[in-house]
Amino acid sequence: MKMPARAEGITKTEPTPWHIFLVLARINTLTLGGGYVIVPAIGNAFEKQGWIEEEEFYRIFSRAQVFPGPIALSTAFLTSYRIAGVPGAIAAVLGTVLPPFFALILVGGFISLYGNTELFKRFLGGAGAVVPGLVASMLWRTTKNRKWSVRSVIEVIGLAVLLVVFPSAAFFLLLGGIAVFYIGRLVWKS
Amino acid sequence: MEILSVSLAFLKIGIVAFGGGWSTVGLIKHEIVPRWMNAEAFNSLIAIAQSTPGPIALNAATLVGWQKAGFLGALAATFSVILFPLLAMSATLAFAKYIPFKRSLADESLRSGSMAMILMTLWVLLPRTALPMPWIFTLAAFGITAFTKIKGELDAASQRGTRGFPHW
Repeated sequence: MKMPARAEGITKTEPTPWHIFLVLARINTLTLGGGYVIVPAIGNAFEKQGWIEEEEFYRIFSRAQVFPGPIALSTAFLTSYRIAGVPGAIAAVLGTVLPPFFALILVGGFISLYGNTELFKRFLGGAGAVVPGLVASMLWRTTKNRKWSVRSVIEVIGLAVLLVVFPSAAFFLLLGGIAVFYIGRLVWKS
Repeated sequence: MEILSVSLAFLKIGIVAFGGGWSTVGLIKHEIVPRWMNAEAFNSLIAIAQSTPGPIALNAATLVGWQKAGFLGALAATFSVILFPLLAMSATLAFAKYIPFKRSLADESLRSGSMAMILMTLWVLLPRTALPMPWIFTLAAFGITAFTKIKGELDAASQRGTRGFPHW
């Protein structure tokens, strides 16, 4: 993401809920590519504002990964709570949710106008075709970055097979599976 | 009633949406295909959700809600998907002291869960055809994004952050 020149360190603002909202709203309006691009952008912006140390920010980020939901949301929520308490956390939710929401309402309107044109269908066909490749590369990166053990290989493959075979039970399989992994690691340390 | 069933679907998705947008896509697909749209339309929806600003799961919720029940549907679906995560985080901030919780074990368990979800996502999104073009697109996208430095920044950053977990 490109920062406007004046954000390069000179105009620091107080970490009020309003300013937190503005900074996050700007990032979430301008940043494409999901949480793993948004999170570093938030880290940079907050650090430049002098609101939080980079080290501390990424500690909160690693903690945010325990929670379900978009990682950009949980990181912004927990960081802003640290900076400005409950009002900060509320500002973070609004700053994360509102910009994409209104962008998509616009896109939705656009689609209902032009969605049936040949050009638009071709664009979506092309964009849709690269999606499995993006998922595969996400998988490749997380596989590469993890320290593997026999236990974790069994966990991942076992749960993945169950999910593929019984997709309609995915909700319970996931909750149950993660609970079983946790308890298993508690009682039987490898 | 469309609004209610869309909201309920995304509330469920929000509860198990571990590990970032891509791992959730497989789940979202099973909630809404073929109930509300066909597989082709779903791929388009994900393509739009990916190429617009904001988290994918959130964008998918907004789009499905919009398609099914207009503006109110979009609003309801969007807030449904974040409702549980927000409650979980608030509860943790409020009660962390009282919860005996092994952070590193939970991390590893969630990591396994989210990787299984990514595998499921990959499985449900792979082209169901022997035609070469979809596979060429898939492999090209994989090659470009997996073996270039485009997304490297966060890998490094998150490893810095994981040095020594603080407790809550």
